Amino acid sequence: MSSNGNNHLQSAMDSNDDGIEDMDFSHGDHFEEEDLAMGASSKDSGFDSVIGHIEDIIMEESFQSTQNGFLEKYYTEFEDTEENKFCYTDIHKEYISLIETYLDSELKKRIPDFSMPEFSKQLQERRKELEGEIFEILLTFSDFMAFKEMLLDYKADKEGKTIDLSGGLTVMPVQEKLSLDGDSPFCVSGKSLHGP
Amino acid sequence: MGLLTILKKMKQKEKEVRLLMLGLDNAGKTTILKKFNGEDIDTISPTLGFNIKTLEHRGFKLNIWDVGGQKSLRSYWRNYFESTDALIWVVDSADRMRLNDCKKELHALLVEERLAGATLLVFANKQDLPGSLTAKEIREALDLDSIKTHHWLIQDCSAVTGDNLLNGMDWVVNDIASRIFTMD
Repeated sequence: MSSNGNNHLQSAMDSNDDGIEDMDFSHGDHFEEEDLAMGASSKDSGFDSVIGHIEDIIMEESFQSTQNGFLEKYYTEFEDTEENKFCYTDIHKEYISLIETYLDSELKKRIPDFSMPEFSKQLQERRKELEGEIFEILLTFSDFMAFKEMLLDYKADKEGKTIDLSGGLTVMPVQEKLSLDGDSPFCVSGKSLHGP
Repeated sequence: MGLLTILKKMKQKEKEVRLLMLGLDNAGKTTILKKFNGEDIDTISPTLGFNIKTLEHRGFKLNIWDVGGQKSLRSYWRNYFESTDALIWVVDSADRMRLNDCKKELHALLVEERLAGATLLVFANKQDLPGSLTAKEIREALDLDSIKTHHWLIQDCSAVTGDNLLNGMDWVVNDIASRIFTMD
């Protein structure tokens, strides 16, 4: 991912340097519109509209339930200890990929000619002026410590409920089991967690 | 590369650097990390996964990743190479038996594409132990002078007393700063 990704970014930046926009001419309508509007204002509104859609998408229930499904699948792997297990890294990668794929497909539903490479280029051009909550939120998705905290919060919620339901029952065997599992740095459950 | 990855690379904050701390097991990586952070270092057990700490140092935000060094864990190291500004290689200067192993592991890292361009700091740790080798001896044993691909420095230190840890970190920050932040 890294070397291709870097090349991609680099080429996006190179094309900015010469001041000439590489336009995507594959969509006839798009071309007409850009041509008539003479560039900037139309492009800004296009960019802003994508941002607006992203804001909508992450506020919607179906995004929340996608995210909750992920948390539900993995929260048992996480433990509230300072040291991290290697599997957290794999789970975080899977999470980033899930969110990226979700955003991409939702944007394509809403904007028929949406192109992520094109949008990335626009982001690059505006890199100095990307302020606002939406960018903070998007950055949080890829922040490992924020991710770990989210999983632990979810786990605390879930286990809080469990204790409420089991009032009067002894919880000792569960604790013993947890501490046994806790000794392993590797995940013993969950799928698609491969070591190198 | 997806949207989040692109944004993360773009928005890497100024004066924020990522340091990856590696070395054989029992070299003292986690002790160095905790000493830096002013934490108790009496009850540190072998790291089986990884630790992360974010420290402020001279106006820089240092994100330090400390990954376990046992032989069976070393294949996981590569999952943490991405976006590394400096590699901190920690050596147990009293562990003469494993210096060759230590040298091999270090030189294997230096050919990694994703670590190309990273600054290299070698901590010759455990100078407080009797019989520990000097920084000069470690430098020869690890054949550091053959390294042409990375800026490097070897710093003798003791994680237990804290001696020279800051010297090493100052050099790392300066080297990264001169490489990255003057380009803006």
